[in-house]
Amino acid sequence: MSFSSAVVFLWLASSRNRLRLQLQRLRRPRYLVGALVGLGYVYSIFLRRLEFGGTLSNVPPGVRLFAELSLVVSALVTVFSAWALGPDRPSLTFTESEVVQLFPAPVTRRSLLHYKLARGLMGAAAGALFASLFVGRLVSPAPGFFFLGAFLSLGTLYLHSTAASFMRTRWGEWGTRGLVARWVALGCVLAAVGLAVYSSLEAHPFPRTVGTPGVLRNWVQSLVESPGLSAVLWPARLLVAPALARDASDFLSALPPVLVLALAHYVWVRLAEVPFEESAVTQAETRTRERAQRASGGSARGGALASRKAPFRLSARGRPEVALIWKNLITRRRMTGGVVSVLASLLLGCAIVAMMGESRFFTDTRRVLGPLGVSLAAMMAVVGPSVFRMDLRMDLPKLDLLRALPLAGWQVVGAELAASALVVGALQLGLLTVGLLCGPGAEDPWLATWWWPGGVALAVLLPTVSLAGLFVQNAAVVLFPAWVPADRTGSARGIEALGQRLLTLVGSLVVSLVGLLPAALAGAVVGFPLWSSLEVWALPLGAAAASAVLAAEVGLGVLTLGRAFEHLDVSEDRPE
Amino acid sequence: MDFVLRVAGLEKRYGAVNAVQGLTFAVAPGEVLGLVGPNGAGKTSTLRCLAGILPPTSGRVVVAGYDLAKDAVDAKRELAFLPDEPRFFDYLTVWEHLNFTARLYGVEDWEERGKALLEEMELTGKEKALPGELSRGMKQKLSIACGFLHSPKLILLDEPLTGLDPIGIRRMKASLRRRAEEGAALVLSSHLLPLVEELCHRLLVIAGGRAMALGSLEAIRARLSGPEGESASLEDLFVRITSAAETEKPPP
Repeated sequence: MSFSSAVVFLWLASSRNRLRLQLQRLRRPRYLVGALVGLGYVYSIFLRRLEFGGTLSNVPPGVRLFAELSLVVSALVTVFSAWALGPDRPSLTFTESEVVQLFPAPVTRRSLLHYKLARGLMGAAAGALFASLFVGRLVSPAPGFFFLGAFLSLGTLYLHSTAASFMRTRWGEWGTRGLVARWVALGCVLAAVGLAVYSSLEAHPFPRTVGTPGVLRNWVQSLVESPGLSAVLWPARLLVAPALARDASDFLSALPPVLVLALAHYVWVRLAEVPFEESAVTQAETRTRERAQRASGGSARGGALASRKAPFRLSARGRPEVALIWKNLITRRRMTGGVVSVLASLLLGCAIVAMMGESRFFTDTRRVLGPLGVSLAAMMAVVGPSVFRMDLRMDLPKLDLLRALPLAGWQVVGAELAASALVVGALQLGLLTVGLLCGPGAEDPWLATWWWPGGVALAVLLPTVSLAGLFVQNAAVVLFPAWVPADRTGSARGIEALGQRLLTLVGSLVVSLVGLLPAALAGAVVGFPLWSSLEVWALPLGAAAASAVLAAEVGLGVLTLGRAFEHLDVSEDRPE
Repeated sequence: MDFVLRVAGLEKRYGAVNAVQGLTFAVAPGEVLGLVGPNGAGKTSTLRCLAGILPPTSGRVVVAGYDLAKDAVDAKRELAFLPDEPRFFDYLTVWEHLNFTARLYGVEDWEERGKALLEEMELTGKEKALPGELSRGMKQKLSIACGFLHSPKLILLDEPLTGLDPIGIRRMKASLRRRAEEGAALVLSSHLLPLVEELCHRLLVIAGGRAMALGSLEAIRARLSGPEGESASLEDLFVRITSAAETEKPPP
């Protein structure tokens, strides 16, 4: 059997077996329901869009120009990245299995290269298919031509990136001389592009008024058609022309240059070929190691993190489940994700306020920070449970380890929830404190009356709402381990997995809302009678009642979930 | 006799597959039971059921007098499970793993014990390292140190020598022998037949999830007294028993 027929066999057999496995899984109702929901979703979101009834006139010229420029700029950025960014090594990547199975096989390097190029072109076809589904209808009246054109463009760019990486590897072997040569060449090209852009802008300056419809579009049109810039954009426009073809004759006339370009790139890859085995092996090992660490909830980084101290000294005496809380709080300190997200939200909020022209942000920061702090604290009740995940969602891949601990199920579930809840709650209270102290930010008597009672009510209620959100997300992992992948690698794939995730998302929302109903009822029962005597200060008391009911619900839930955790048997989906 | 581990009619099914079928045996204090069998025989499933990780489909497991189904927490407090692939919490250092284990099992003199164990496992100086910074063998040693910290009455080991260098293997054998001499009961699953022959007092040979032979090497040898029965090595006996199990298999 030749290598090419072996590869075809590998792909066909793998596809067939994967399909068979997926079909076998459909015998279980949960996968069947997931598949049906997933298919319905894909049909309603993507496939229905393929019902093209439009003609050329349906694509407005502005949209067409924008689409063409987007594609052209994407192509140019890809080319620039291939030459300027990343290390000087072959870009061909192989999986660890491919390295182990194919590298020692009696095949030439050229065969391996063709194998990888074929995989790359298959990836380009998949990319073109998705592009056709997502944006094809918006920019082209002919989805078939758009797909073929996008495939040719992406395939040629893939070949270009491969050839560029080979050239960079060759130059890299020259040491500093190669580096200087590459950057001098890049500098010359960038200077020529800069000059072309400058001359075009000189000839077509930005219009003084852009309020009239079409002014901006006409300016962009004239700019890209100016001699300098059109010369810069010419190769990329040539490349994307078949994808934007209006009809068959348009497509056929745009096709030959792209085919020539693709063929020339293939010849270039063949001529520039360098040994890629060593780099491929190193990259495969690195990826496997990183994937394994991600799968176990870990991070590729390590050493420096260990120096961050534990939040408190853990005595050997006392309730054993505190050890799990202690462990998860250490994890929180040594991870960056959640805190970075919160800081990013804060920065984003400040940036939006600044961009909106809120001059008080600079003159009276306190007044802007007040509402911002309260809003972020409220947002944390929704976002926090998804961002802070140092609980069962992180530890369930280590189920064997958790199950061997001398703890009852409810102790494990409760302790796992506690760390995330403590962190989210502390952040909310911190943000509320800042917000309340800074004030409402407006001289509004109504707002001034409600500010403190409302703030105290939020301080009582929000941490419990976050706890309930965390509970629902952890319950989904325990009750539907096959539906909700706890590890970050997300082992389940396919249409049924998509459907299952949608169902889980909707289910989580429904459960959260249903869980909030008794709490809201309790809040109303306590708050309304007190309104006549306490007025706005009845709000914190109502919130306290709602919070107590919610906490009791979570407590009951932890006991129930603990029993489910004790009987959790993931072996059905993870045979020995 | 007061057994540390008593197993009666243990069964574990994965869907339609019977991984473990009707295992019944007991292990006394100070005894080392070797669990041997071909790949897929059900050894790891058995150990996971004994450790309370997998719920058995049926049967009873009693650890140090505690029924694993009814008093799971008390039973688990008396045992240690050392898996073939050690799993750790990625963000806890070596020393913090010992601290964590100490709190779970209430080991008050853990610092003293921990230092001694790290020294015994040649991990001194690695206290501040995260699991990701340890080699495969070091991880195995850390797993053993955490497992031994609370002086368990029952130690379940799945391929305990994987990843250890020759000196580590020698130390580990001595360490296991010492734990047995101190009164712990050990159940050791391994494909390394010389290790099993050297350390184990009794053997449980399983194939296809069923117990094919249980007893001391001499007793098994005597039971299978063929033409070369008396001089047969464990390897010969293993091949003979598992081959017999193969022929007993029902047609698919």
